[in-house]
Formats: sequence, structure tokens, C-alpha cells
Amino acid sequence: MKKIMIVEDDKVIAEELYNLLKSSNYEAIILTDFKNAKNEILKSGVDLILLDINIPILNGEILLKEIRKESNVPIIMVTSKTSETDEVLSYSYGADDYIIKPYNPTILLLKIAAIFKRCELNSNIISYKDLSFDIGKGIVKNKNAEVILTKNEIIIFSLLLNHQDRIVSKDEIMTDLWNNDEYINENALTVNISRLRAKLSELGYDNIIETRKGIGYRII
Amino acid sequence: MKFLKYVKDNLIGIVIYLVTASLIALMLAAFKTPSIALIITFIFFILSGVLILAISYIRKNKFYKLFMDNLEKLDKKFLILETLPEPTTYEEKIMVNSLYEINKSMIENIKISQKNINDFKEFVEIWIHEAKIPISSMVLKCHNNPEKYDKSFLSQIRRLDNNIDEILYYVRSEDTEKDFIITEIDLKEVVRNISLKNKDDLLENNIEFEVDLKATSANSDKKWLEFIINQIINNSIKYKKESESIIKIESSENKDKVILEIYDNGIGIPEKDLKRVFDKSFTGTNGRDKVKSTGMGLYIIKKLCDKLGHNISIESKENQYTKVILEFGKNNIYKGAM
Repeated sequence: MKKIMIVEDDKVIAEELYNLLKSSNYEAIILTDFKNAKNEILKSGVDLILLDINIPILNGEILLKEIRKESNVPIIMVTSKTSETDEVLSYSYGADDYIIKPYNPTILLLKIAAIFKRCELNSNIISYKDLSFDIGKGIVKNKNAEVILTKNEIIIFSLLLNHQDRIVSKDEIMTDLWNNDEYINENALTVNISRLRAKLSELGYDNIIETRKGIGYRII
Repeated sequence: MKFLKYVKDNLIGIVIYLVTASLIALMLAAFKTPSIALIITFIFFILSGVLILAISYIRKNKFYKLFMDNLEKLDKKFLILETLPEPTTYEEKIMVNSLYEINKSMIENIKISQKNINDFKEFVEIWIHEAKIPISSMVLKCHNNPEKYDKSFLSQIRRLDNNIDEILYYVRSEDTEKDFIITEIDLKEVVRNISLKNKDDLLENNIEFEVDLKATSANSDKKWLEFIINQIINNSIKYKKESESIIKIESSENKDKVILEIYDNGIGIPEKDLKRVFDKSFTGTNGRDKVKSTGMGLYIIKKLCDKLGHNISIESKENQYTKVILEFGKNNIYKGAM
């Protein structure tokens, strides 16, 4: 399980972030000792840091600069400041991503997932049972057949495959689609899902995408 | 300085002078002075009087004419002191010194009120960042507890967030300092961020949302532009028609500019309101009758566009459509500097 450090001085936000990460199957740690922030973070051995800019003692940007001297751990800057200079500064100090409060929690999760994906090798191919899914090419195949997925189907299928352990809500799928510039409505989503189902049944997998009415979808 | 007016101002002196001259002439006549001597004395007297008046006029006129001419030419009238030569006469000194004192006290007053405004702006900025913290925690709470807080909470939080942004950008648009950076920005990313922000409202209102970006980069400030387009989209959602609503964002470019158009098939703007939509506090028929409006949204957008150097215009037909057109200059100076 990936470990994520939350560096945030607002207790309510830190707690809600903790819950958010937990429910997405990440291990979360909240930094409490801001005096030794740098050492605490470095020795925690986390896989990713959510770093707020407005934190006590050391400002987040300075802390980022300090951490970067010794570690390449992925860092997402979180801030309520909306000035261009903060963003430019954060990137120049080596932040991997930058998100402004109030953010859409699903987008934050997508950003985290994207960073982890970038870190992994061969992440372009996901296997499921005897299927292999090449995300880059959009090809799903087994020894019998192969189907080519459209852009929307690729987004939906990879999101479902990456979260096989839980139900993926309609809202998450829609957010991921919109985040990839596919501004479709819910009817179109239903159509896309049924096309995806049809393609998967060509490969011999009927009904592996289960609909949970009013909640979302899940791969079984 | 008009000579006649100057004479009029000095009328009492002239009258006293003439009366005195006449009295002296009468006195001389009473002492049986020869009439030729009397006439010569009288003429000398009058000549010297005219000379005194003329010299004093010429000297004063030199100063006041320069003063008035410079005042007229000056755009910032309070700089008049800088244009005057060193005062020579007592009167000029009084005037110049008074002006100096008046200016000084005015500058001090302006400084105080500027400081007050800046303090207030700083406070507003800090306050807004503070306000964003509980908003973020509410968004997270809603997301983590969907059974407790449904989507209607989120939509109210978004409304609040938008209203707060309006103040933030109002303060920024009024600021004389330049706190934006113009770079080559990705229009796709800007549109994506706005779309995600408004996704729920667009979907819940069954609005068909179409994006077709033929030009994908423009010179602008990302945050400011996001605010501008977000306000426009908010208006499109607010003033949508009952059914089959569409919002379209399109971009194109020619050799000197990039054009971004935001089209909706909503209730439109009455023709008589159209030329006033960018005025401060203008609400128009729609803003009064259909949805309550502050009348500040488009005013702020226009000011931000002016500062960024973008051209903004609105086309609309009542009950048919509204189209907001943003034009970004293709200034190669920026590109060269990046």
C-alpha cells in the first residue's frame, strides 16, 4: 500500500484528507511536528507528500526546496493562494503538481494516481484474468481475440481496473472523462459502458462490469 | 491676465490717485501757479500713474500668464509647482509657498487613504485565503460522507466559493499594481479546469456542453483567464433557457490574434441593455426580473480584460443566444521573453 504524508496545519482538512486517502486504499500519515518537518518527512519513507504552502514555522515552498535537496519523493503542493507566482515558484522548486483549495477531491485522487503511474514501469499494460490491456494503444486482447477501445472506453476501463477492490462512482468516472477533455453527459456514459460491455463479451467476458444502481460500477 | 480686469481690481487706488491729482491741481490753481506749470505737473502726475500701473501689470502678468498657461497644459494639475520659476516678489512667494503647503497636506492625505485602501486590500486577500480553508474542508466532508451531505450541499458551497472569488478579483481589478504574469497558456487546460468546476451544475441542468478548440494556446494569465471564463459560464448557466440548453466554447486564430468564443442558447440580453452590460452595478432586465444579480460580474471581467490587454465583446439576441468573444493579441514580444 502506498504511503502518503499530509502536511497541513488545519486539523479538519488534515483529518478529512486522511479519510479520503484511506477510503481510496492509501496509507495516510498526518505530520504533527512542524518544528522538525523536514526530518520527520525524510525519515517517514513515504511515497508521496501533500504539502500545504501556508504552514507554521517553515513556509511550504521553503520546505519543498529543503526536501528536494535530499529526496526526489513526489510532492503535490496544496494552497489557497491563487497567485501565478506561487505556482511558478513551486514548480521551479521541484513540485510535481500544484492544486488550489478548494479542490475537487476526485481530481486530487486522480493527480495522485497519475503521479504513481508515472513512477511505475510498464504501467501501460494492465492484466485482468487472461486479458491484457494496453492503455497506450487501447487494445484489449487474450489468446482468442482482440478488441480496440475508443478513448472514452479506455478511460472508463482503466479506471475500473485500477480500482477492482471497490465500486467506482459515476461521478468519479465522469470526472475522469471531463479531466481528459471528454465533456459527455450521463446518457453518453451509459452508452459508452454498454459498448465497452459488448466489446468485452467478444473476448468471452459477459457481464464483468456490474452496475450498482445509484452508486456506480464495479469490475467483478 | 486681462488688463481691463486688472484696472478694475485697482480701481480704488486709481480713483484715490486721480482725486489726489485733481486736489493738487486745484491747490496749485489756488496758489496762482502759472497754468502751463499746472498742466505740466498734472500730465507728469498722470503719466507716472499710468507707468506705475503698467509696470506692475507687466510684472504680475508675466507670473500669472505662465502659471495659467502651464496649468491648462498640465494633465496632473497638482504638478504646477514643478513648472514655475523661483518666485521673485513677495506676492509670488506667498502664492508658491501656499501651494507647496496645500500640495504637501493633500499628498499626506492621499497617502493615508492609499495606505488604508492597501491595508484593506491586503486584509481582503488574507481573509479570502482563510475563507477558502473551511470551504475546502466542507468540500472534503461532502465527498467523504455522501450519505450525509448530498450534492445540493456541494452546489451551495460552489456558489459561496464563486462569490468569494468575485471579491478577490474585484480587489485585483481595482489594484494599480500589476499582479499577473502573461505567458503562453494552454487553453485546453483552462477550459478543462473550468469545466470540471462546473461539471455538476452543467450535468444537473442538462446542459449540452461542447468544446472545440482549434487554437490551443494564447497569451494570458492562467488564473485570471480561468476566473473570467468561469464567470461567463456561470452567467450562461444562470440565464439558460428552460430546455435543450447548449453551451459551446470554441477557439480559432488568425495571423494577429487568438479568438475564444463562449456561446449559449439562453435567454439572451435585450438590445437596449447590450451596450451597458459592462457598466458598474448595471443589472439590466435579466438581472432584475429573472435571477438576482449584483451587476458586478461583467464589470470586473471587463476591467481584468483591460488590464490583461484582451478585447472582450458580447453579441446577443433576446430569447435566442448570447456570445461572448475574447480576443488575445499574438504579441511576439512575450514569446521572445519566455
